[in-house]
Amino acid sequence: MNIRRMIGKTDLDVLIRDLISAGKRVIAPVRCGDSQHEALEYAPVRSPAEIHWAGPLPLRSLKEIIFPPTETLFGWKQVKSSVEIEANPNGFRETVIIGARPCDAAAFEIVDRVMGWDYRDDLWFGRRQATTILTVACPHGDESCFCPAVGLSPESARGADWFLTPADGGFEAAILTQKGEALLEPYKAQWPEPNNFSKQQLSGLESKVRANLKVQPESIRQWLEKHFDDPLWKHVALRCHGCGACAFVCPACHCFDIVDEPEGIDRGRRRRNWDACQPALFTLHGSGHNPRKDQAARFRQRIMHKFNYYPARFGEVLCTGCGRCVRVCAAGMDLIAILAEIGRRSEEAGAAS
Amino acid sequence: MQELRDLARRLLRENQVNVILGYECARRGVRPAFITEAADCDRLVFDHRCVHNLAAYLSPRRTHVRALGRPAVVIKACDARAVAGLIRESQIEREETVLIGVRCGGVVLDPADSSPLSSGNIAPRCSACDQREPALFDHLVGEPKGAPAGEASRDARLSEIEAMNPEERLGLWIGLLGRCTRCHACRQICPMCFCERCIADKTQPAWIETSPHSRGNFAWHLTRALHLAGRCVDCGECERACPARIPLGLLSRKAARSVASRYGYVVTDDPAIPTPIGSFQFDDGQEFIA
Repeated sequence: MNIRRMIGKTDLDVLIRDLISAGKRVIAPVRCGDSQHEALEYAPVRSPAEIHWAGPLPLRSLKEIIFPPTETLFGWKQVKSSVEIEANPNGFRETVIIGARPCDAAAFEIVDRVMGWDYRDDLWFGRRQATTILTVACPHGDESCFCPAVGLSPESARGADWFLTPADGGFEAAILTQKGEALLEPYKAQWPEPNNFSKQQLSGLESKVRANLKVQPESIRQWLEKHFDDPLWKHVALRCHGCGACAFVCPACHCFDIVDEPEGIDRGRRRRNWDACQPALFTLHGSGHNPRKDQAARFRQRIMHKFNYYPARFGEVLCTGCGRCVRVCAAGMDLIAILAEIGRRSEEAGAAS
Repeated sequence: MQELRDLARRLLRENQVNVILGYECARRGVRPAFITEAADCDRLVFDHRCVHNLAAYLSPRRTHVRALGRPAVVIKACDARAVAGLIRESQIEREETVLIGVRCGGVVLDPADSSPLSSGNIAPRCSACDQREPALFDHLVGEPKGAPAGEASRDARLSEIEAMNPEERLGLWIGLLGRCTRCHACRQICPMCFCERCIADKTQPAWIETSPHSRGNFAWHLTRALHLAGRCVDCGECERACPARIPLGLLSRKAARSVASRYGYVVTDDPAIPTPIGSFQFDDGQEFIA
């Protein structure tokens, strides 16, 4: 697909208003409510004026748009001696994400692999199907970003239906999928093709964030494969408090828990909620035994899953380098420093062999 | 700084302790450090970025820290209240921990923020703090510090909320707690949340619904606030750790106000003074029984 358009800022506003008035859910980066900080979050917008195109990475990733923190799978009701099931009430409302960051859009394609693997997750794919993603070239990187180290970049179009690059008074848009083409259709004739479509230079953001972490994912994986038992794990996990903040802000973490919650004496709902591997409860058995007995074992699992097991099974790491886990950790756990250390050890081992 | 490093080195060399829980500089500001070798003591720092409450690492549920052996811990005046709480509630023995008190003139909210301390970046708890050093310590280090910048207007928001009518207040908290996804960072970082099995983790019955819907979130945060009433040391770590930036300190400070007005009790770093929740007095109010 090679459709390209110049879209003025006001034309894009028209598109957004059209989507909203057609009843679609439009998600975009907006200023966090009630925050004294300069923080953004992805949230539904009622007007294009609410959208913040620049500024830092939104606090939480886009994950919750496709995979909500809690959702009902089905309801049940006891009727005499049998049980009636109320089918899954989840609708898949048509959604357009405007201004997705490249690291968030890419994560959907990475997680698709596991969601469609041994069991096809209808809730995940139902919402994926109903969602169109307009990614914008990343406007802001900081010392916690490392997307180039995991094969992405501030201008990566992975997972995008449209990729928007800021240009004079608007954007140059690359339309990349059929879904993207369908969204463009009503405006296709009115919006001009760029005469000379050339990628804008993005103020050196790529080289800036590339300098934060220089490792090869395959080199990391090779070290991990041979170092399940290594003193490193005890050492790095000491400061970890064992909360789920890193996993919950992560665009790629996707573990969940399923609970039955009664609502009254004869009915209730089965819900699926986000879960995370750092709390001890995650692997606690009914017997009281916990196979991941300490924080070192739990932190090792986090790194192993993302940088060893996932690439071994699906061919790529479960990380887009957004750096949210680094920014959000109150204990100063730093994935960049840890991957750099593993990369260094791997190189040393490679040089020695 | 040298005083702190020399003391730490001596404690390790003389085998008085096995590990120093302190602060070190890292790629991104300051972070907790666990130093077991005398030769590494020059990594220790203490400055206005040392916001973390290291008393959290003393709690017995930190098995991986306990495994390092007898600790010495660097504590500010606010952190000392948490150490006192752990002693008072029989979580640690006074004699088994060496307390290195540091004089403090306030810290920034974000330990990666290296700009000078100002009213713009100061941790909210510090602007109204009048304790420059702990009363509970074995060693006290550092130069005397001046009072931190900022106005003591920290509770203005609390008073605003108290002035609201119940509907407005409910609306506010539905919005704020609606952002919670139950990562439990507030609990995990809290030095006083040391329960071996938190009520939020119990499943038979599930007293607190684990789903991050309004009912579950209200049950969780209100239960936690009540359990910490008169125990919360107001270190602000729950609020700092919250990835959703929910102002959780409002709940615990409201509870602290109630405890102060009802029982005349303010959390202190004297472990010998019992908390209202941990003691009984014949003149305790009991009008709710009748």
